Amino acid sequence: MSVQEVLVYPDPRLKEVCAPIGNFDQSAQQLLQNLVDTMVDSGHSVGIAAPQIGDLRRAAVVDVSKSKLGKKQENHGLLQMVNPKIMEKEGSQIVREGCMSVPDYTGNVIRSESIVVQFIDQNQQLQVIRTEGFEAIAIQHELDHLDGLLFLDRVSSLKTDLFRRKQK
Amino acid sequence: MQHFALTIIGRDRPGIVSQVTEILFQGGFNIADSSCSILGGQFSMILIISNPAISTKEDFCDTFKPLEEKNLSVYIRTLKPGGEIRTELEGDLCMISVYGADKPGIVYQVARELGERNINITDLNTKLIGDKGSPVYVMMLEAMLPEDTEVEEVETWMQELKQKLQVDISVRSLVAMEL
Repeated sequence: MSVQEVLVYPDPRLKEVCAPIGNFDQSAQQLLQNLVDTMVDSGHSVGIAAPQIGDLRRAAVVDVSKSKLGKKQENHGLLQMVNPKIMEKEGSQIVREGCMSVPDYTGNVIRSESIVVQFIDQNQQLQVIRTEGFEAIAIQHELDHLDGLLFLDRVSSLKTDLFRRKQK
Repeated sequence: MQHFALTIIGRDRPGIVSQVTEILFQGGFNIADSSCSILGGQFSMILIISNPAISTKEDFCDTFKPLEEKNLSVYIRTLKPGGEIRTELEGDLCMISVYGADKPGIVYQVARELGERNINITDLNTKLIGDKGSPVYVMMLEAMLPEDTEVEEVETWMQELKQKLQVDISVRSLVAMEL
């Protein structure tokens, strides 16, 4: 198990466009495992992308099945994604998102309601899945990280769409 | 350190914030938390302030005299120890929006449904919009739902009120998706 430190904005690595993984080698497997370990260790998170742990390769993991909101909906459990790509998008919805890399704020962003996503899984198999609801939102959020986009890039108004978290 | 809650209200005009904060700055006060807004034609300020050198309100209440001379009402509340600290509320935030033709009791009846169930209201704003002939009352209420209370339950409670008050009520979760 290898839990990594989660980078927080303004770390410049969060704003980089990540490179595709050409060779699915041992280090790519290790990266997926580190992502899973770090996501599980954070407790409340349902996904994490490689740049959030400082690795600028196109990989992300998502698992909404353990969250209060996600388990009410149909989902694919743990998804380990290498070179993921959204092939189709449908509908739009406004959701309030929080991100481990932008810990002090939450923001309203527009996301597609349902998506078709293609990726290579941990067994090096090409997968194409259709998903909607919370899982679809989580995947869109994590895939944004691979292009150097944070939810702050998707917020349309600072006044009405960005919220400082309540003091702890 | 002793903290005080300072409330100032008066007819809105430019310069109120600057006059108030100048007095606080000259007097060596810190502003720990504040909320200021226009309500009707009035500007209202609520501030949590402290000053290491001051322990009772008698020490400084006279410094606000110039504000009262300019028709602002000033009220100082001495906080009990720890009264400046926001208590951490457990649960999930939800937003209840209510709008419809103005009638007596809208705020009270919605608040009663929550109060009876011991649900904490964390923010509340109301406004009259629309024209004079057909005013529309709008209320936005933010409440903290305890762990065992779902948004759907709140919707059920509000359903009855909707009929009774003939207003529109919508309830939605403000919980951020943690990604």
